[in-house]
Amino acid sequence: MTEERAAEEKPYRRLETQALLQQIAFRHGLEAMEASENGNLAWVTSGFPVEIPIALDLGVVYPEQAGAIIGAQKIGPEVSNIAEDLGYSQELCSYARVSIGSTEKPDEVPMGSLPTPQLLLACNNICGTVLKWYDAISEMTGAPVYLLDTPPIDKVQLPHNQEYVRRGVERLIEFIESHFNRTFEEARIREVAELSSKATGLWIRALEACKTKPSPLNCADRFLTMAPVVSSRGTEHCAEFYETFVAEVENRVKNGIGAIRDEKIRLLWDNIPPWHTLKFFNILASRGVVFPADTYTHAWTGNMVAVDKSSLLDQVVETYSRVYLNMGLDAKVDKMCQLIKDYDLDGFVMFSVRSCKRYSLGQLVSKELVTERTGVPGVIIEGDMVDSRVYNAAQIETRVDALLEMLM
Amino acid sequence: MGVGIDVGSTTTKGVLLDSSGKIVAKSLMLTGASATQAVEQTVRNISSSANIDLNGVPVISTGYGRARVELAAKSVTEITCHSVGVHHINPEICLLIDVGGQDAKAIRIGSSGRPEDFELNDKCSAGTGRFLEVMARVLEISLDELGPLALQSKKPCSISSTCTVFAESEVIGHIGAGESAADIAAGVHVSMVSKIAALSKRVGVKEPVCVTGGVALNPAFRHHLSNQLGVELWVPEEPQLTGALGAAVLALERNAGGK
Repeated sequence: MTEERAAEEKPYRRLETQALLQQIAFRHGLEAMEASENGNLAWVTSGFPVEIPIALDLGVVYPEQAGAIIGAQKIGPEVSNIAEDLGYSQELCSYARVSIGSTEKPDEVPMGSLPTPQLLLACNNICGTVLKWYDAISEMTGAPVYLLDTPPIDKVQLPHNQEYVRRGVERLIEFIESHFNRTFEEARIREVAELSSKATGLWIRALEACKTKPSPLNCADRFLTMAPVVSSRGTEHCAEFYETFVAEVENRVKNGIGAIRDEKIRLLWDNIPPWHTLKFFNILASRGVVFPADTYTHAWTGNMVAVDKSSLLDQVVETYSRVYLNMGLDAKVDKMCQLIKDYDLDGFVMFSVRSCKRYSLGQLVSKELVTERTGVPGVIIEGDMVDSRVYNAAQIETRVDALLEMLM
Repeated sequence: MGVGIDVGSTTTKGVLLDSSGKIVAKSLMLTGASATQAVEQTVRNISSSANIDLNGVPVISTGYGRARVELAAKSVTEITCHSVGVHHINPEICLLIDVGGQDAKAIRIGSSGRPEDFELNDKCSAGTGRFLEVMARVLEISLDELGPLALQSKKPCSISSTCTVFAESEVIGHIGAGESAADIAAGVHVSMVSKIAALSKRVGVKEPVCVTGGVALNPAFRHHLSNQLGVELWVPEEPQLTGALGAAVLALERNAGGK
């Protein structure tokens, strides 16, 4: 009887919190529309210190998140084509292409474009493309761009760079204050900083729970549940969401419930996922493969503890400059080795994302270094996060199968 | 006994091993437009050549069409199969370079005969058999003549692009400039081999090195690869069959109660 039921069950378990996530996304969308209508919506890059516009009561949306949704809806190629018809190269970041494409022709995109921005906030700690991308959106919408420039760090941040980034954050506050007629208030900063720290702390707890065997979360679970910590750190509903989420995750741990039914092999994932083919993880789940850790969702673990404006600025400079994409290859290799050790992983899969050069650069060398230092094998697969035209499922299957054959 | 079937992009190969691991039948044919038909024909070929009814004999499939082999007990990637196949004939081999019609692989073989690390070029036709096919067509000779012709060259033409499309234009340019077919053919091999050499260096060139796949039959390819890597190359008697052989070895192990 038990066997019969097991055969009918899916190889992975769906999180109950996912329903809540949809509500949050819907609410977030409504709030963004309202902010846009009221003339105070900012579009923000994923590595931007979002606590600042939130503390100044601006609405925020994330074009990268919208890109992921377009990818998941499997319309990446069509929306990219709109940008490519305008003359943008197929080599350009696919998040940028679908963002430009959906802004140009919102009627041709099922979810339309993001609500019209009044401000574009870009931080180049994740890549340099964001500036040109936001420049293009600025030309299309008339909203000004504020660039927070974070010079790359080689191990330690040089004092003059620290001062430079701090000055950039101060000017950002001045810019929003004067542009939107706002005042940066101490009490509000403390509130936002506390909420941000709370959400991040809970997120870290959920990630670290995956050290347990079986892992309570698989890659796709984290890719979906990361949305609030990326986009609404510093808000109450974000912190509330993670309280519910962590309760579910820790309940799984307590009861020995895994994200997949039969965990046999534990792998590390590197890079942004193929949003158009998240079933990749479910197919592997049916073969007992789980991904308890990945470099992508672990990027939102900079926990800021600030009590006033001055300490908040220090924390912003520190946290947002030290994003590992801003720190060179060594930092990423260290991170991968650490995750493999801490989460007791058997191997790793590196996704070489054709249009995300910043994240994918150096993967060949990293693969060698990680194997050398950890002794576990890895494989590189190629494709793109949104543009499914450059994703070849058969070739990817061969590479991943060969890795599994090395492990089984 | 055990059967291995390797459904490649260009050819489909089959090998039947007896219980001692000796090859008793083999088949090699073009895959053509239907992988399923090629598999059926391959099974008929080895069955009639060994004069054995293959019913009940375990089959393991490999290659890009491995999922099309319905009678296979299991499918295993060509990466593992080539590694196991080469190890079966020559257990000394540390690096295997397999160049087929559609992709090129460099595989580091561990002491157990299983792959330890590998790199694949499956994204473009540069560095694959397809590259040589295109160039042979431009030079109006058969694929079999291309290698021997290239070896006659004293001064290979320089072909700077490894991209098939751009290299084709370069070749046409050399033809227009009146260069000899032998020098152009040699240039084509040097260009193609540079891509394979880079792939091999990524997994580490540890001797002895073996080359397999259809392209291993080409003497100019072997000559230039040996030069560029600075090592002697070992070529099995039938370099196209090692994938199917590896699959047959795994089928045999399976029959004996192994994995």
